[in-house]
Parts: sequence; C-alpha cells; structure tokens
Amino acid sequence: MDSHMRILNVGMLGRAARACVVVAAISTPAVLVAQDLAIRNATLITITGGDIQNGTILVRNGKITAVGANVNIPAGVRTIDGTGKFVMPGIIDAHSHAALEGGINEGAESVTPEVQVQLKGDDPVVYRALAGGVTAALLLHGSANTIGGQSRVIKMRWGQSADSMYFKGAFRIVKFALGENVTRANSTAPADERRFPMTRMGVEFTVRYWFQKAKEYDQEWKEYRDAVKTNPNAIMPRRDLRLEALTDILHGDLKVHSHSYRGDEILMLIRVADENGFKVNTFQHVLEGYKVADEIARHGAMASTFADMWGYKVEAFDAIPYNMALMSQRGVVVSVNSDSDERIRRLYQEAGIGVRYGNMSVNEALKMVTLNPAKQLGVDKMVGSLENGKDGDIAVFSAHPFAPDAMVEYTVVDGKVLFDRSQANTLRKVAAEKGPGGTK
Amino acid sequence: MARRLLFAVPLALPVAFATAFAQTADPGKAVTAVRADYALTNVRIVTAPGKVIERGTVLTRDGRIAAVGATVQIPAGVTQMDLSGHTVYAGLIDAATSIGLPSPSRPLPAMTAAGAAPAAGRGGGGGGGRGVPLGRGSAPPPPVVLPEVEADAEAADMFAPTDDQLKAFRAGGVTTVGLVFDGGLFPGRVGSALTGTRGGSPLALRAASGQVVAFGTKRGGAYPGTGIGAVAFIRQAFLDAQYEARLDKAFKAGTPGARPSNDPFSRALVPAATSEMSSWFVASTERQIVRVAEIAKELGLKTPVVVGSQEGWRVIANLKSTGATAVVSLQWPSPDSITGRAFLAVGSGKSGTAPATTAADTAEVRANAAALTKAGVPVAFASYGGESGNTFRDRIRLTIAAGMSPDDALRAATVTPAAVLGISAAVGTIEVGKLANFVIVTGNDLFAATNPIKHVFIEGRIY
Repeated sequence: MDSHMRILNVGMLGRAARACVVVAAISTPAVLVAQDLAIRNATLITITGGDIQNGTILVRNGKITAVGANVNIPAGVRTIDGTGKFVMPGIIDAHSHAALEGGINEGAESVTPEVQVQLKGDDPVVYRALAGGVTAALLLHGSANTIGGQSRVIKMRWGQSADSMYFKGAFRIVKFALGENVTRANSTAPADERRFPMTRMGVEFTVRYWFQKAKEYDQEWKEYRDAVKTNPNAIMPRRDLRLEALTDILHGDLKVHSHSYRGDEILMLIRVADENGFKVNTFQHVLEGYKVADEIARHGAMASTFADMWGYKVEAFDAIPYNMALMSQRGVVVSVNSDSDERIRRLYQEAGIGVRYGNMSVNEALKMVTLNPAKQLGVDKMVGSLENGKDGDIAVFSAHPFAPDAMVEYTVVDGKVLFDRSQANTLRKVAAEKGPGGTK
Repeated sequence: MARRLLFAVPLALPVAFATAFAQTADPGKAVTAVRADYALTNVRIVTAPGKVIERGTVLTRDGRIAAVGATVQIPAGVTQMDLSGHTVYAGLIDAATSIGLPSPSRPLPAMTAAGAAPAAGRGGGGGGGRGVPLGRGSAPPPPVVLPEVEADAEAADMFAPTDDQLKAFRAGGVTTVGLVFDGGLFPGRVGSALTGTRGGSPLALRAASGQVVAFGTKRGGAYPGTGIGAVAFIRQAFLDAQYEARLDKAFKAGTPGARPSNDPFSRALVPAATSEMSSWFVASTERQIVRVAEIAKELGLKTPVVVGSQEGWRVIANLKSTGATAVVSLQWPSPDSITGRAFLAVGSGKSGTAPATTAADTAEVRANAAALTKAGVPVAFASYGGESGNTFRDRIRLTIAAGMSPDDALRAATVTPAAVLGISAAVGTIEVGKLANFVIVTGNDLFAATNPIKHVFIEGRIY
C-alpha cells in the first residue's frame, strides 16, 4: 500500500485497552517471565523438517534445545499442553511501519540514506502484532525517496525499552523506492512545488548520479588511507554521512530493499545495480514481479509482496494473486508482508492465499511468513524455523494457521510468553466485562 | 535603631518606593526598582546549600555583596533592613526558559514572499547536497539564514521579556534565567539574564554559554523536515564543524592542501563540536535522551546538557555515561503520556478498572529529579516548556515532596544552574563579590508553602 499515505490509527483496540488499565508502577513491565518453556503434545510445523505430530518443543534460556516426538521436559520448566494445537516459528513481517516515531518519510530530498528510522518501543501495534503470532519485523520508512533511509529489524519484545528491541545480527537495510510514490505522480501539489525527480527517467538518473558520487567519495577516502601511511599530514576528507551510506551499499554492508511495482522499473534498478556493482537484496511490493521473475532470480534478489492487494493506483493494476506462487516457481525467495498495522495481525492468512492461487504447498506458503522473510532480513540463522539452536520465537495456534477459525493462543519471543490470549485484554473480553456499550 | 532607620528612609523617597518598601510581600507587584546599598540585618542566611548563618548580616554595595557574616560592620549611609524572622537565600536560577525569546519558527522577513528557497543559505546542506542533482538554471540563492539554523544567534542579545513576564519570574523566586531557544535545529546559543526590570543595567548576564541543539525541522519542505531527518542533519552538522576545525588547524600550521571552507554555519558550530562549549540538547523522552547520548558518544561531545530530561530517570545509565547535566523541566509530563505506560495499559493482563492516574504515578514522574540526583547526575531545575516562571518555587516544593532533599533542591536551583550556565562567579551563592541577588522569605524555609516571599533582590535592587 502507499506507506507515505499511511495513517497511524491506534483506534478502537487502543482505546479499549486504555480504558482498562491497572497499574502498579509505570516503569515495571508486567510481561517479563523466565526464558524456559516447553510445549508438548502439539503439531509442530518446523518449516525445515516437516510437521511433527504429538511433538514437544523445548526452549532453554531463550533458545530452542529440542524439537521432536520424544523430548524430556526437565522438572520446573513451564509447560503448555499443546493438545490439538499447532506450533510454528514466530511470524516475520518483512515490511512494516509500526512502532516508528519522528516521521515516516523524510521526503524533503530524494536521496537520504543517512537518515535512520526511530523506534517507539511502546506502540500498541507491537502487542497487536504479537496477537497475530508476529515475533519480528522489518521497520521501514515510507516510499517518498528514491534512495531513502535506513530501516531497523526488531523483535517484538513488548515490555522492553526501544533499544532492547533491535534484532542483533540482522542486516543493515536501506530503503529505495521507484515509481509513482517517488515521482509524486499522485500528489495534488502543483508541479513547481514538487521535487526532483518527477519522472521515472529522473528516478533512474538519480540512482546513477548518486552512486557515481559515492564511488568518487569512496576513492577519495581510499587515496587518503593510502596517503596517510607515508604522509602524516595528509588531510582527512570530509565525512559525508549520505555518501558514506552509499559506499556501504557498494561494499555490501548495507542491503537494499527497494519499493517497486512495475516490471520495467524492476529491470531498470537491476540494470543500474549491476552496472554500479551493488546488489538489490529484496524487491518490496514487486507486484509485477511475476513478469520479470527470472531476471530477479538471476540478479540474486528476493521478493516481498502482497497476497492480493490490487488496483489502488495505476502502477498496481497488473497485480495478480498468483504473483507469490509464480515468483517462487522461478526460484525467487518470496515473502508476504503486511505494510499495515492491521494486516500484521493476520499474515498467516495472507500466506494461505498462495495455496489457493498458484497451488503452493502448505509448507512453501508458510515459509513466506517465516524462513523466507528471515532470509531477506538476514536473520535466518536465528529464526524462521523450529530447529535446535534457533531463538525461541514461537507462535501457538488453536488450529492449523490456514484453518479459517485459527487463532493465536500464545506468542513466544526468546522463550518468553509475551502474548497469552487467555490473559489478554481482547475486545471480546473487555466487552464481556464492560457490558453493552462499555459503560459499566 | 535599625527599625527607626528602616522607617525613616522611605519618607525621603518617592511614593512608589514607599509603597513598595512597605508592602513587598508581593514581589510580583509593579514597583519601580531602586538601587541603594543595603544592610540586611538579624536575618538567617543560607549562603549555600547546607551552609547557614543563623543570625547575621548581608551587606551590599553597588549591586554586589560586600560582606556576609554573623557580625558585619555597617557603614554609614546604608539602608538597614531588620529582617528578624526571615531567611535570605541566593536568588533562584531557572536554568532554561524560552520566555522572552523569539521562536525559531518565526516568519522570515520579505525573502519568503520573494519566493526564495528557504533551504538555501547557511546550514543548507544535510549530506552531500540537495536531492536535486542539477538545478533548472536558478540564480544563486539569497543569503537567508533560517532561524532554525542560525547557530551563532545569541539568546542573551535577543531576550526581550515583558515586564509581566519578569514579574512572574520574581514571584517564583527567580532572579536569573538561562535562555534556551525552543525548537529549530541549531537555533543559537544559550545565554543568561537577570529578571530585574530594565532601567539602567542590561538584563543579559552572559552570552555563549552553550549551543542549543533541538530535534526540530526546517520550514517550507526543506531538509530536514522530520525528526528522523533531524538526527542525521545534526550529526552531519557536527561532523562538518569538526572537519572545519581540523582544516583550520592544518591551514594555520601551513599544511599543504588545507583550506577551511569558511562556511558560517560550520564555523559557528566549531566551539560546540570541539567541546569548548557545551551542547544543550532539547530532549525529554526516554528515546530522545538515549539519542542524545548516542550522538554525544559518536561525536565525542563532552559534558552535554539535556534540557527537559522529563523521563531522565528511565535512562540514568545513558546520562551518566556521557557526563551529562540534566536540566530538568519542572513541567512534568502527564503520567499517561510517558514511555512505558502503554506496556501496562495494553499488556497488563488485567482489565475492568478505570484508567485513573494514581498518586503513585504522579509521584514517580515528579521524583525524576530526586532519582537523577541520587544516581549522581547533576540536576538543574528549569521552567522550560512552561508559560510562566511564577510557579518555579511551588514546583520545587512538590519535587521535594516527591523525595528530593531540600539541600539538593536548593543546589538544583542555584549552584548547579550557575555552574552549567558558566555564571558561578556572579550568582548562585551568597558570597562576597557576587551579585546581590536574593530571595527572602518569612520563616526559615524557602520551600514551605506557608512562607511567603518577602523580598527579591536583583543586582542590589529591591523588588
């Protein structure tokens, strides 16, 4: 969706939740528990090792230590009876604007990779995401900039400070954007108040121009580092945070996730990237990815798309729900993302659309919200499947996640149960307690 | 004898003064200040936090303190005031206010009407230039300096309060204010001023006490237009100033190739970027303060000052690690709005109770200064963010009620702000040579609600 037009709406749930606060002390989160946990007698959807019936998963000190049919649970470990329940890796959202503060778009200039999103740790959306089984997300800013700012990968460590939510070891990621949002094609502002680039030609030029500058900057520093070996008086060049970030892209230290829609603009960025020696890690949205899937795969890029969002602007008219399946078939690592504080609660349903449209296997479809986004965020060694040694990030469903009535019952991050539906202030619960109209 | 003199003097003076002298229990009342030399006798003197002369005399001459002690020789021609039953303290210092200062978002003169690009001129760059690689053949931009980035603007020069605003400060016991712009990015420099009504001596006490840094934006769609952009802009501005300082040094040393840019914006920031001058970051929430600590650490900024610091107690380690002074606003945030509240509101696992803000919630917010002091973070009180100085003393009283010791509170309202503003030589304690800035209360406790302010002295003038 158009993230630059996104409206942060805390909405009904936030108000309902605020209306039932009980507080002992402001600074003490109520959700901290030990990092040992066992879930037994459940169907384990491991993603990488098939499904295990009547299985047990054990988490010690926040890490998965056993997954299988025969697992001994040490005495004293909190154990959840998983009879009839389905356990899957914590869901990962590869495109979210939740929990951000300080602005979603630094759109005053078109090239701002020195900017970084800022996290607002206690955004209730984080808790709502947990309610949908989401345990990690890529937080990006909007799509106003050709070369935008740096994103953040977080874990949904609800109840902890903003700084402790950062996912250590994840990629550093910068957002690019192409097409109508960058050119402000849908802006109502008069043309002379708009900003370069205003056409797709200008977008391409902007990328080329700035990477040329980045290479010159890189060379300037290289020459300095060589010179200073023999000449202690060599003058250190000016540090330019913008060009520094671009050289990080050239060196592969900063991964590009590019907002994109049309096949032609995707090909354009691949071409410019190949010419300039950098990689596009992931195309975001990529609604026409099915038209250029081979080229995306050949470049080594991945794709994070919507399941069935369509037609909300001109460049989104060729979107089809088969996009996920078709790109997967051509070898592209595909994830399905939310880009929404609402859809973030039901990403598992979005993944299921891949089964209906394109005959993806259930496991391949579930990968689109677990292991595949983990790869795109550089955290697949830590999360994305139920395997020994990985983080204890788990979602426990009342039924198979693709079943229409499935609900998340527990969401676990680092072995801590951070969402427990039986304890949660759900609307249903609040309504039951408050009576009709919530006036009791 | 003293009493006779006290009553004798006003007879010879204009009516306005007589009125003031007889009824100055209300220091906010309109008076014409008169400067004379005074001997405050039989008064309890708190010369500094924890240092008390139970009964003594303070002698002033030409606006300064000439003598302090249990026994002081009183020269002839001095106005004696018998202040039995009263206590004299050094005048309070409000470490940061933007009252009386122009807003950094004030309109620009004519230039904007002429259609000039506000992004141009000083402080125009964010990184490697604007996002527009090639212009459309426009003429060079006019030399507009946006107030948001007028880094060498001196608050002390621009302080233009109304008489009512000054009276309000005096009613709060405040005789000196730290001047900190409200908003912008690098809106200028911290100064300090006295709160005595103008008439003879200038209000300004000192300029260039610090560089104000705020996470604001530029106007008119210029970069940075958001809080996220502001962080990057501020980091780049400091880096550029440090680069300018290096070039300058190399140039003076005759190093081949060294040539300073002479960019006025970068040059203005050199003292702050090289820690010759403290940077005063406007930051109140947990995240803002953490960000300040990160920036200070990254750029090697020593002794930063955090103006606002409302959620300081949540991030004490960050404040301590950077050697920051907390200029704590006494405008407490609503407990419902502070960071961490939503965790409990949404995830507490309990429901069904009204969202009442409890007394404990309020106490925790107000205990900020006490917690910071206990942790060893220097604290200076400020009315920053408030619309008037007249509640300064009352809010300190509530801070004491929330757990701060009265001595620590007095230090946070006198000695520490004087130090951080660089004006300790002139104000902050009752010592010979310092300005005769006093606040005098009935009784023996400045912060007791029942003790009215009897007089305020500023530079030897009585109000």
